[in-house]
Amino acid sequence: MTRARSNRGRLSRRSLIQRLTFLGGGVVLLGPACKRSSEPKEEPPAAKQDGQAPRTFSSLEYAVVAAATERILPRDEDPGALDADVPVYIDRILQTPELTPVREDFLSGVAALERRARRLHQKGFAALTAEQQDELLTVFKDSPPRSGEAHFFELLTVMTLEGFLGDPSYGGNKDKVGWRLMGFDTVGTVASAPPEGYDGPKCLRECGAHR
Amino acid sequence: MSLPEADVCIVGSGAGGAPMALELGRAGFKVVVLEKGPHYQPRDFIHDEILNSRRNFFMPVPWEEPHLLRHGAAGRYEKTSAAWTANCVGGGTVHMSGFFYRLKPVDFRLRSTLGAVPGSTVADWPISYEELAPYYDKAEAELGVSGESIPHPFAEPRSGPYPLPPLDVHPVAKQLDEVCGALGWHALPTARGILSKPYRGRAPCSYCALCGSYGCETGAKSGTNASLIPAALATGNVDLRPGCMARTVEVDKQGRARSVVYLDADGVTREQRARVIVVSCTAVESARLLLNSTSSRFPRGLANGSGLVGRNLTFSSFGESHATFRLSKQAATRPWLKDPSPFVNRSLQDFYLLPDARHGFRKGGTLGFMWAHPNPIHAAVGLAGKGPRAVFGKELKERMREHRDSRILQFEVYAEFLPTAGTYVRVEDGVKDRYGIPVAAITVDRHPMDLAATRFLVERGEEVLRRLGPDDVRRGTTRGETTLLQHGTCRFGDDAATSVLDRNCRAHEVPNLYVVDGSFMPTGGSVPATLTISANSFRVAAHLVRTLKG
Repeated sequence: MTRARSNRGRLSRRSLIQRLTFLGGGVVLLGPACKRSSEPKEEPPAAKQDGQAPRTFSSLEYAVVAAATERILPRDEDPGALDADVPVYIDRILQTPELTPVREDFLSGVAALERRARRLHQKGFAALTAEQQDELLTVFKDSPPRSGEAHFFELLTVMTLEGFLGDPSYGGNKDKVGWRLMGFDTVGTVASAPPEGYDGPKCLRECGAHR
Repeated sequence: MSLPEADVCIVGSGAGGAPMALELGRAGFKVVVLEKGPHYQPRDFIHDEILNSRRNFFMPVPWEEPHLLRHGAAGRYEKTSAAWTANCVGGGTVHMSGFFYRLKPVDFRLRSTLGAVPGSTVADWPISYEELAPYYDKAEAELGVSGESIPHPFAEPRSGPYPLPPLDVHPVAKQLDEVCGALGWHALPTARGILSKPYRGRAPCSYCALCGSYGCETGAKSGTNASLIPAALATGNVDLRPGCMARTVEVDKQGRARSVVYLDADGVTREQRARVIVVSCTAVESARLLLNSTSSRFPRGLANGSGLVGRNLTFSSFGESHATFRLSKQAATRPWLKDPSPFVNRSLQDFYLLPDARHGFRKGGTLGFMWAHPNPIHAAVGLAGKGPRAVFGKELKERMREHRDSRILQFEVYAEFLPTAGTYVRVEDGVKDRYGIPVAAITVDRHPMDLAATRFLVERGEEVLRRLGPDDVRRGTTRGETTLLQHGTCRFGDDAATSVLDRNCRAHEVPNLYVVDGSFMPTGGSVPATLTISANSFRVAAHLVRTLKG
């Protein structure tokens, strides 16, 4: 439910990522948007993450996602996206059947980022320096509001934050590093996390289907 | 397949549908309740932000079941999940915050009070506050409401105290009382649909801080799923069918409602006949159901010979600001900042109705103070920002660390959303949901008075916040609308030419059809209307029981 902001004229897909303060919680809504890349997907042998093959990404895509999420939340004096296993989260959550349009958008965005890197630097995104990666991500961020690039940047940020701050049972927020950084469950609130052994993905499969 | 006839078939199990189910079941009538969503149990309510707040646990995703929304008739429709409430047994009362205000006497006669308002279709209610008051008492008792009534200029009359004492509050409530008192205003305890003590076999609140956008795992939150629905099922007369999506309401040759055609949990089309049909699926979705129920008798939709179904839609006008206290700077002088109590429960209603229009409006509204919701993903997405002004990398992490060092006090404004000719819901035949049913298409055209009122209220709220000495006060918006709170698409009235329902919420054009969600309300009041919807449903149920018993 959702609150529509009177944000006339620019309600594009931005309206799909809406806030929901009356409920207090904030909301989803990762809308379908950019066109699927027409290029065939490269399918090199799947990379291993923690001994498991990625479920959504090829190894090349996985490397791009890992590099990009680490620029959104780089390790500094506190853990970053890779420390929290954010790419594992994104790889797994995009298998949710209800998120098929989001998966397609995300994969097109990853392909677009990689294409842009190769065109500008003759190297894959993951092989660029951090400065070059930030420059490219900024180009995407500053693209026109309805563009696929801007949409992908927003999607990347949102999915990275979900992976950093969501329940660890989804594969990210490893050792609750995200919650520690934000103070959830530790400062000024008694909001408690789910119990040990909770399986969020299972609940999402079984409860979220709106049967 | 046609099923055995019921006495009453109710579509929806939320604030409107559940009181009907309970009262009719108690009176011995055979009731079928069709609910679109699943029947969650308390064990399904987990503090998992991804599941609860960011997926389709409660509300559908816009590529499966969109609403179309545009600002102004010249605007472009966008697919959105705005204007949905929770799709499950209990409806929006499952994930509500439970701010259980009553409307005030002036809300029942706003047209008389304001006079004609150019650009607005504002109308009086056909009933008075005094006629609804006994049913407010009943709804508060049946649902379980905790609160404390104190005198103030806009206090609505009450016959007695709340059923339960107020919830424990954070020490900042006392600060707010003092600050508001110094300004000559009245910080009022906010009544909550949450149990402060054990009540009718239900456990009290555990103060977990996750009310809004979550289901309550202890059952202390007074959603109909925790209160009225279990009581209705216990009568033995109520057949609750989750996972059943109503497609149309059918009529017989005489133009009486005959049945509800719906898709059951297995996707099989079924027909439930009933002597009386009650629609209660939210103002937007009830209008959609009626407009999709076309027949030779009602070619423009059921009960819509007048063309008024879907018109006069109102939401709640919204504004907010946030005050941030840095713990590292302030905790020594303000030790209460570290108190973890989740509830503030203070409201300001001193500006509910202004004596004159010198500020560009007369009908104002309510400010509700609260701690910012603890959801970390929601907070971080807000910190990251949007579009070219968004940040990432080191800057984003700095903001996240600052958040850890912050206590954020905010207020929300619930201000009048005057009905206008330009705010309405229709169905869009060209866009269908995953069931193949044409979706609701909403057009919003705000009245300038509401925006003036909302800005005024936000400015007053910021005065209060600043007097508490925060490090920062940041304005959210003064131009929003809360689409969870919706009213008016089948307004009630005594004149069939200007209203869809009569004073008993029975359709003027269809003698055995009732609508009991927020659709009946000609004006939404300047508070969340959940309690009012339930109170009215108890009122209509009393009428219907009398009618059916002849």
